[in-house]
Amino acid sequence: MDFASLVAQLNTGTILPELIVTATLMVVVVGDLIVGRTASSRWTPYLSIIGLLAAVAALYLQWDSSNPISFLGSFNSDALSIVFRGIIALSAAVTVLMSVRYVEQSGTALAEFLTILLTATLGGMFLSGSNELVMIFVSLETLSISSYLLTGYTKRDPRSNEAALKYLLIGASSSAIFLYGSSLLYGLSGGETNLGAIAASVAQARLGESIGMVIALVFVIAGIAFKIAAVPFHQWTPDVYEGSPTPVVAFLSVGSKAAGFALAIRLLVTAFPLLTDQWQFVLTALAILSMILGNVVALAQTSMKRLLAYSSIGQAGFVMIGLVVGSQDGYASMIFYLIAYLFMNLGAFTCVILFSLRTGTDQISEYSGLYQKDPLLTLGLSICLLSLGGIPPLVGFFGKIYLFWAGWQAGAYGLVILGLITSVISIYYYIRVVKAMVVKEPQEMSEAVKNYPEVRWDLPGMRPLQVGIVLSLVATSIAGILSNPLFTLANNAVAQTPILQSAVVSRQPVVTQQQATVKLVAPELKL
Amino acid sequence: MNLAEGVQLVSLGLLSFMMLGAALGVVLLTNVVYSAFLLGGTFISAAGIYLLLNADFVATAQVLIYVGAVNVLIIFAIMLVNKRQDFAPLPKAWIRKSATAVVCLGLFSLLTTMVLVTPWNLSAEVASADSSIIEIGKHFFTDFLLPFELASVLLLMALVGAIILARREFLPEESAVAVQQPILTLPERPRELAGVTPGSPDRTIASKPSDRNK
Amino acid sequence: MYTYGRKRRAEHMEGIDLQQTFIRSLTELGIPSGAAKAIWMPLPMLLMIIGATVGVLVTVWLERKISAAAQQRIGPEYIGPLGVLAPVADGLKLIFKEDTVPAKSDPLLFTLGPVIVVIPVFLSYLIVPFGQNLVITNVSMGVLLWISLSSVVPIGLLMSGYASNNKYSLLGGLRAAAQSISYEIPLALAVLAVAMMSNSLSTVDIVDQQSGYGILGWNIWRQPIGFLIFWIAALAECERIPFDLPEAEEELVAGYQTEYSGMKFALFYLGSYVNLVLSALLVAVLYLGGWESPIPTSLLANLAGVSETSAWLEIVDAAVGITMTLLKAYFLVFIAILLRWTVPRVRIDQLLDLGWKFLLPVSLVNLLLTAALKIAFPVAFGG
Repeated sequence: MDFASLVAQLNTGTILPELIVTATLMVVVVGDLIVGRTASSRWTPYLSIIGLLAAVAALYLQWDSSNPISFLGSFNSDALSIVFRGIIALSAAVTVLMSVRYVEQSGTALAEFLTILLTATLGGMFLSGSNELVMIFVSLETLSISSYLLTGYTKRDPRSNEAALKYLLIGASSSAIFLYGSSLLYGLSGGETNLGAIAASVAQARLGESIGMVIALVFVIAGIAFKIAAVPFHQWTPDVYEGSPTPVVAFLSVGSKAAGFALAIRLLVTAFPLLTDQWQFVLTALAILSMILGNVVALAQTSMKRLLAYSSIGQAGFVMIGLVVGSQDGYASMIFYLIAYLFMNLGAFTCVILFSLRTGTDQISEYSGLYQKDPLLTLGLSICLLSLGGIPPLVGFFGKIYLFWAGWQAGAYGLVILGLITSVISIYYYIRVVKAMVVKEPQEMSEAVKNYPEVRWDLPGMRPLQVGIVLSLVATSIAGILSNPLFTLANNAVAQTPILQSAVVSRQPVVTQQQATVKLVAPELKL
Repeated sequence: MNLAEGVQLVSLGLLSFMMLGAALGVVLLTNVVYSAFLLGGTFISAAGIYLLLNADFVATAQVLIYVGAVNVLIIFAIMLVNKRQDFAPLPKAWIRKSATAVVCLGLFSLLTTMVLVTPWNLSAEVASADSSIIEIGKHFFTDFLLPFELASVLLLMALVGAIILARREFLPEESAVAVQQPILTLPERPRELAGVTPGSPDRTIASKPSDRNK
Repeated sequence: MYTYGRKRRAEHMEGIDLQQTFIRSLTELGIPSGAAKAIWMPLPMLLMIIGATVGVLVTVWLERKISAAAQQRIGPEYIGPLGVLAPVADGLKLIFKEDTVPAKSDPLLFTLGPVIVVIPVFLSYLIVPFGQNLVITNVSMGVLLWISLSSVVPIGLLMSGYASNNKYSLLGGLRAAAQSISYEIPLALAVLAVAMMSNSLSTVDIVDQQSGYGILGWNIWRQPIGFLIFWIAALAECERIPFDLPEAEEELVAGYQTEYSGMKFALFYLGSYVNLVLSALLVAVLYLGGWESPIPTSLLANLAGVSETSAWLEIVDAAVGITMTLLKAYFLVFIAILLRWTVPRVRIDQLLDLGWKFLLPVSLVNLLLTAALKIAFPVAFGG
């Protein structure tokens, strides 16, 4: 194959968004090297945001691409991957907004933080579209290793060190397990790495339901479940969330998780079509455990970051309902919920960051009486938390309704009922924070709030935080009422994705057979 | 069986024995230095097995990267953290050990059964030793181009990250940041540990002033 | 494209093939061919080990004589003619010396350390060619095999440094490992540039690619930067002055060798000199045309009107090849010894700075430059 024909086959245009992100990170790291740390911190965050938004715009332009497969099958830029890449890029952009002041105040270098964050974004974006085992693994590691580095970014804090070490060790072992599963897939398919080819060749060799495939499935799911922090692979989450810089936690809980879900959908649907029942069973168990444990343990938390950590485990459980039911609506509701989760969770984290920057604490009890000192922060946090809990006019409510409706349609009654119960539990602990903030009596005000500094937005790095709060506030409250475009987006994404179509069709043979018999019976009746 | 096959069989047995022995040593020995050196032995034996499979580039790379770089770094780290610490023997440690052994044996038997039961889809083609490096190069620049290029971004970022974690920070004077948190730490105060009287600010290791500017 | 070297080899019939001749003569004696092969197999290796050891003796003698000359002394004189037997006497002394193991050391690792240092160095002689067929194995990995084998050495150094239970030893071992890792990267990158030009990693192909134009075809003209990088890095890998920090006497007594004596010390000593000769041989192969003589022998034969296929020419060719390789190598050894008495030792931070901040970027640039030249002038740069 000569150079020209190779270039023609690569279809490089599909990774234009990723190329933009790569270019941005190169400019950030080299520019910082040239102009120095203090000078670069003035423009690097905005450049990163512009780059990420440009990537989102490039994704938008690709929406109706007729030829999504690129790099000889390594990368699949179908509608599903576009939506997930958009979610990841947006979450990174919002994370940059909230990290400017935070990183400056912790005395660490901003440009390197942004570089690593952009690399993590790049890894996540590639992971959402990778269609081949090697690509999946490399992008997964790009995401993971950048996340470990971000976790330990405040390197003089023993909590940060502990978090990074725990994350690294558990992450490395889960990567190893995932790799073992992938190598089994490679071996069982007789040397294929492309997901579609694996499924075809495994089916051809009649190994579809062999013990080897089941073991591969279990190992692969273990690796994915670590990424999305599903119980029982969640042990790292609370400690890592507590010890990491808060913007990193925000990115991990949204961007990294979204990438994990994208990987889960693509890998499980494409490579394990013959084991659909088995993986749905395993994921059902994970979803049940995540919803129960995440929401129940969150009740007992006193630290806001830990509370959000457990709540994110519970939220992952809700999202998994959409994955488990495997219907078109299920996938669409999952995407919708992830978009909603992006705004409300990042909004909540922005508020938590602002509070901890002003008071130096993230204890829930210290939030008492905040309403009287900082109404905007109180409003933002309340709206986001209520939305996370699923209170009606907000976007989280519609997300949950759609998820539960999709689950109910597909007959997962138990799962939906459990989801409803745990949602109610979650409302309790979210409301607890809101209630603490809006207490009226001055004597109930906490020490931190009594010493609350004057609200000043003109300090360096505060403006982006304000923008972040207002943006997520608006998105969380408006997107709930005007959620139709988001519904359309989610539904179109699923409808335009070939792998999900074939998956849904292949799940229906029993039904069509029944219909066929009915049709056969009907003429006889006429006779 | 001719001479070559005999030599191959004997080498395979020898290498497998070395590899398993060294790997068991890595896990079971209590002296971490021995474990680290035996890890090198495991890597070398794996390289030998690759060589028997006609994968000479992989074998060479295995020695170069795993023995020459990874294992040396591991040993380096162990030597630099040369802290002898005797751990108090845990009561009823045998329960944990036997539970671990049961889990490992269970996993081992499961995987062995899987290997034996599965009708593997083996390719009859003999890998050619001479052109392996050329084949690998071709794959890198055709169907594995994207992961190959992404790996370069990954390595760049790992390089940047390693330098960030390892470099000696320039710490500004304490007075300049006295109103804020100590440098390079999280802004959130650590939680009060159980059994510690609340209200005393420098409770954890990091917030001791003497530790800040080490 | 990549078969370029092989085709060339097939075209002009190779020189003598000892293996074929040996096996044929044995089978004529009635020994089955399998057994004949088995008898042949250890012979070249044995020859190489003996050759390497003799090479070390020569090098040690040279080092003493040249050092003496550099300092206006006479050097060894009475042990044999011109003192040539002095290194033999050294070796005999070390063999008969008492083998001591320090009381609180780790005896197993203490013994294993020198062994791990020496074995890879000797193994690397597998790939050194002295003629078209005068090489133990012409593996396709060639130079890469040498690089990967030499990367095992620091493990042995760390092992002996740790096992000696002596702070100087440990520091020496750590320094040796750090140095070896740092300089392996520029070394490998320099080799990569050469490999890129010859489209092969095999040492025989690399020499073949330089042949045909005599001294003008040697890689040193096309890779001057690469040659310098390789030579500096190779000296650092051999721990020669100015890079002998692991055993810097003023700072570390004798580094990782401090506690060693007798045969174990002899192994370190042997290993370091074998490594020096090996590096010199590889520089000769990679950059100085290997066994090719400055004026091509085929040209001389043509001038003299001798047919290229005549048997005695092949023998002369082989002899010239071996002589040329050794001459080039010992010329480099000579330079290394002169450098020893010319350049002062660098500090450890200067050493690491040189490796990471200078050699590494320069070797990367060299690699890029080679790639660009290869595309621009495929004729001259092995396109």
